[in-house]
Amino acid sequence: MNHLRIAAFILCGFVMGATQAAPPDANVEKAQQIVSQLCFACHGMDGNGIEPPNPEYPKLAGKQAVYLLKQLNDFKSGKRKSDIMTGIVAELSPDDMNNLAKYFSVQKNKPGIITLPDLVAFGKKFYEEGSPEIGVPACAGCHVPDASGTDKYPHLAGQHATYTYQQLKRFASSERENDRGLVMQSLAMRMSEQEMKAVSEYIMGMK
Amino acid sequence: MKKYAITLALALLPLSALSAPPQQPKSAGIESPDYVWNADNGEKNEILKLKGNAILGEEAYRGCQGCHKTDGAGIPDGTYPQLAGQHASVLIKQMADTREGRRDNPKMFPFAGKHVVTPQEVADIAFYLQNMKIPHDNGKGPGTLLARGKELYLKDCQTCHGENGEGNAAEFYPVLAGQHYKYLLRELRDTLKGKRRNANPKMVKVIKDYQDADVEAVSDYMSRLLMPERAAEK
Repeated sequence: MNHLRIAAFILCGFVMGATQAAPPDANVEKAQQIVSQLCFACHGMDGNGIEPPNPEYPKLAGKQAVYLLKQLNDFKSGKRKSDIMTGIVAELSPDDMNNLAKYFSVQKNKPGIITLPDLVAFGKKFYEEGSPEIGVPACAGCHVPDASGTDKYPHLAGQHATYTYQQLKRFASSERENDRGLVMQSLAMRMSEQEMKAVSEYIMGMK
Repeated sequence: MKKYAITLALALLPLSALSAPPQQPKSAGIESPDYVWNADNGEKNEILKLKGNAILGEEAYRGCQGCHKTDGAGIPDGTYPQLAGQHASVLIKQMADTREGRRDNPKMFPFAGKHVVTPQEVADIAFYLQNMKIPHDNGKGPGTLLARGKELYLKDCQTCHGENGEGNAAEFYPVLAGQHYKYLLRELRDTLKGKRRNANPKMVKVIKDYQDADVEAVSDYMSRLLMPERAAEK
């Protein structure tokens, strides 16, 4: 494990040369060290995930720090359940989590490669218009048209389609229930499989 | 690395569903003998006391614009009504009626109930929408019964809703100008059937003998009303 950590640390210094600077109040060096030990294997050093994508490992690059911190806190308190993340956050202090949230928030997000191009046009329509017939609001309403999000509604652009799809399924079954005001659960319950797949594919190609 | 393998295996175990979407409450409406239209109580009064802030309203409105759109115009097929330029008092009353269960809207409730939108946010959103420009490209009717529509409107509607569909903020009578034809049609039909449970009994009495052709005619006429631009309030 030690060799792996050292190797990862060196690699991480290399990768970091190409990424953006963190806000002055975040301890980037400390965050990088933690990323190279705990995060990189699943989320990638720059938060753009790993290939091939695993639905359990989301991209984190470019997401709002406030959103990332909330998820870390929710994993810690048990509000968001993940057998992987529960064990990992147990090792993190509030300062560590703050540094990590800021670190990933300033990494540059890279769009994914579309594998189901036939779904993209419908996914775009759904993202922009929702489904008036069954009362699903447009994703663009909260997450904004380019999926860059706001402090209240997270950045989505470029996320692995398998992860987005799986989260929609988990919201729909209330397996994931740390959403504000149950909004994501309420709308995911109204979505069809096809809508979930299509919108996930569209989001993956967004920059 | 062994730790990851174990935790990954654990993560694949199924978890059971835990909660249900928020259900809209149900309060006495027009079907009930004790129903008082626009009663002087409840959340409406609480929200009306708050000062709306348009900047905060723009932020809070994000949760609405997935359906009602950035410009507040809803969609011309009437599925979602036009809200821009509506009186804040009317928006607050309708929100309170929905939140307290006098106006049934299971589609909207999960995104507008007290569990997700605070009273201050309702005030902010209402103020933000009131100052928005009423769009003129709303859904209109076929234009075939406008003379009949005008006759009905002038006889039955304009006393309360105004010659130009400007409504009356102090009386909680909505702006009609710029509203989608199909939304007006649906709400009038629902009012006649008693399905719009927060309807004003005075209005129900006025339109009680309307045939569906009358409803179509007056809705078409209303969808074409143009009201003078509202001066923006601070």
